Amino acid sequence: MIGVVSYLVFFTTVAAILGIAVLGLNLQWGNTGLFNGGVVASFGAGAYGTLILGGAPQDGQLGGFSLFYPLALAGGMIAAGVLAWIVGKLTLRLRHDYLAIATFGVAVAFENVMRNATGLTGGAQGIRGFERPFRDMLGDGFTYNAVFLVFVLLILVAVYVFLERLTVSPFGRLLRAIREDETAARSLGKAPDRVRLISFVTGSVIIGLGGGLYGTFYAFVSPQDVLPILTFQIWAMLIVGGAGNTRGALAGAFLIWGAWTFSGWALSRFAPIEAQLYTGSIQFVLIGLVIVGMLLWRPQGLFPERLIVSQPGQNREKTQAEGFT
Amino acid sequence: MRTLLTVAAFAAGVSALGTEVQAQECTTKIGATLPTSVDWGRPIAEVAQFAVDQVNEAGGAAGCQIEMVLRDTQVDPKVGVDAAKALVDLEGVNVLLGAVSSGVSMPILTSVTVPGGVMQMSCCSSSTAFTKLSEDGKTNGLWFRTFATTAVQSAMGAKVATDKGYKKVAVLYKNDDWGQDMARLIAADFAAAGIEVTSSVAINDAQPSYRAEVTEAIGGQPDALYLALYPNEGTSAVREWLSLGGTQNMILANSLKSDEFRDNVGLQYLGNALGTDTASPRVASADAFKAAYVEKFGSEPNGPGLANSFDAAMIALLAMEAAGKDASGADIAAAVAKVTDPSGTPITADTAGFSTAKDTLAGGGTVKYQGATGDVRFDANGDVSAPAVVWKFTDSGTEEVEYLSLTDVDAFIASLKK
Repeated sequence: MIGVVSYLVFFTTVAAILGIAVLGLNLQWGNTGLFNGGVVASFGAGAYGTLILGGAPQDGQLGGFSLFYPLALAGGMIAAGVLAWIVGKLTLRLRHDYLAIATFGVAVAFENVMRNATGLTGGAQGIRGFERPFRDMLGDGFTYNAVFLVFVLLILVAVYVFLERLTVSPFGRLLRAIREDETAARSLGKAPDRVRLISFVTGSVIIGLGGGLYGTFYAFVSPQDVLPILTFQIWAMLIVGGAGNTRGALAGAFLIWGAWTFSGWALSRFAPIEAQLYTGSIQFVLIGLVIVGMLLWRPQGLFPERLIVSQPGQNREKTQAEGFT
Repeated sequence: MRTLLTVAAFAAGVSALGTEVQAQECTTKIGATLPTSVDWGRPIAEVAQFAVDQVNEAGGAAGCQIEMVLRDTQVDPKVGVDAAKALVDLEGVNVLLGAVSSGVSMPILTSVTVPGGVMQMSCCSSSTAFTKLSEDGKTNGLWFRTFATTAVQSAMGAKVATDKGYKKVAVLYKNDDWGQDMARLIAADFAAAGIEVTSSVAINDAQPSYRAEVTEAIGGQPDALYLALYPNEGTSAVREWLSLGGTQNMILANSLKSDEFRDNVGLQYLGNALGTDTASPRVASADAFKAAYVEKFGSEPNGPGLANSFDAAMIALLAMEAAGKDASGADIAAAVAKVTDPSGTPITADTAGFSTAKDTLAGGGTVKYQGATGDVRFDANGDVSAPAVVWKFTDSGTEEVEYLSLTDVDAFIASLKK
């Protein structure tokens, strides 16, 4: 029984961390319509940033500053933000698929830099030897994982509330206006380029936060953690959950990650012994089927976007007081 | 009251009966996290299961039949770690085999097996980072691998180059942790042997063409090429190398010991190619493994990591036997020394060998496991050294050119260090 609880704590932690990243992507794609194909670059920048700043010193490697943990995590977020700002400045003039290709390229370049910049990132061996915060006090076992889960959930709730409030705020409306019709937004005197950049950087910082937590949890990061498959996984979570809906994004993270891991467990337990060797491949097929099925029969996702219309007559004073931004 | 007593007595009798039956038919689970969705990963899992089957034929380990629960890692650290965690928490395994990639084995080690007190034995992770982690005291003695560290491979590469009289060698390496380790070590070993490395070029996976990399390597006009690549990239790179007029003098790491590579490049171009490996030692058990493998799977064990995977599973099960029933992961890890004791009773790597080991261990003795990769002996960091072999390709597979015993290997490595 304790085993099941222990596993569920572990699973929920990873799902919640991925959920934070999905929320970040939802701000970019769901709300602003920015097709970010390089999710993994922000995620990786957060993870590497946190471990380099907070880790123990290694031979022949920069970093190991052993910073106070919140500072290290903030550093990872800043790294993700700065990277996003540079990338955004260069590529946000691009639209849709062009932006997707450009950001995908950035992510591949990021992985290659991490793989080769041995002096900074440990190269292909990655960064190890990170001391997880409060390990001395809590040990390495179940207690630690439980406490860490609470910590991750608190951050998740904070991000969730922040984004929920942002979406219904005038700024959220502006994001949707730009998503739907940029020219119209511009004609109303808005500056879409600036707003798109703000949204892109904010989303990337949130994704970087997810990456930082991920690195902390595993106490390790290597280029294998920042392969394009992660971008794909996070996108699948958002599409299945429902782009544009914060709750949907979160549900998608838990659902897809659950399907991803549960299918492996179920196959290892119930598949006949002769088929055991092929369960890995079967698992891929199943995951693909779930995603294709969703796209065919419920393309809006499990939780479609709720339209928030500021109608005259209802909350009129409020709308006016806020200014129709 | 009497009824109650009768019931209690009856219940006791039933449960006693139950335990007796259990002693015969209980199953202990061990976990395996291997990349079964990848073409070269599946045989590694098959051969581990083959070892488990043989042990079960000998009556299982520690009084129970063994069931290996296999999970796919998808070569994705997240997925591998989750699978390992599920095996430890939900299936209650004390022994975990895997993973293959160091980038997957490492997070499993740091976030699952070490915190959970589970012994982890990998067939194929070769990164030097594990040695460093162990030296830092962070593996708690729970980590082992049957893949000789890259040091043996690279030293043998230097030996082949010296014997053949190559003066200038270009290096192409796979751009991952293993390849980068190899490139660094081989550069040092070549330098120690007085051989110039004209260029050392990283090969990234799954590129449509390696012309740029190969052109760079060929530029230094080397008289031989060292390849630390896997079959897929190896084939593409070598084809380009030959088409640009590169030399056919090649030294291959054991990862290229594959029929696929030979067939795709063409045997006629591989006449001067010599490979190094750590398998096929001069003990009966290695031949027995080969014969058993051919009988079971219908081909020679030529893929990377097969002999290592077999040994990893066997040693893990022997250690379980030595540690006895209901042993913890740490107990089993501690018992590894008892089954790889150089002065113990030699045993072969099959059903008969396992039975012998059972008797010896039951009598309080220790055994020396002579496996598919030779006499496996772990150092304090869970690393192995091994005898080495130089091989070349033939029509039917590979053929041995030269054999170096463990002593020869150690002597050559020592001569490089001078």
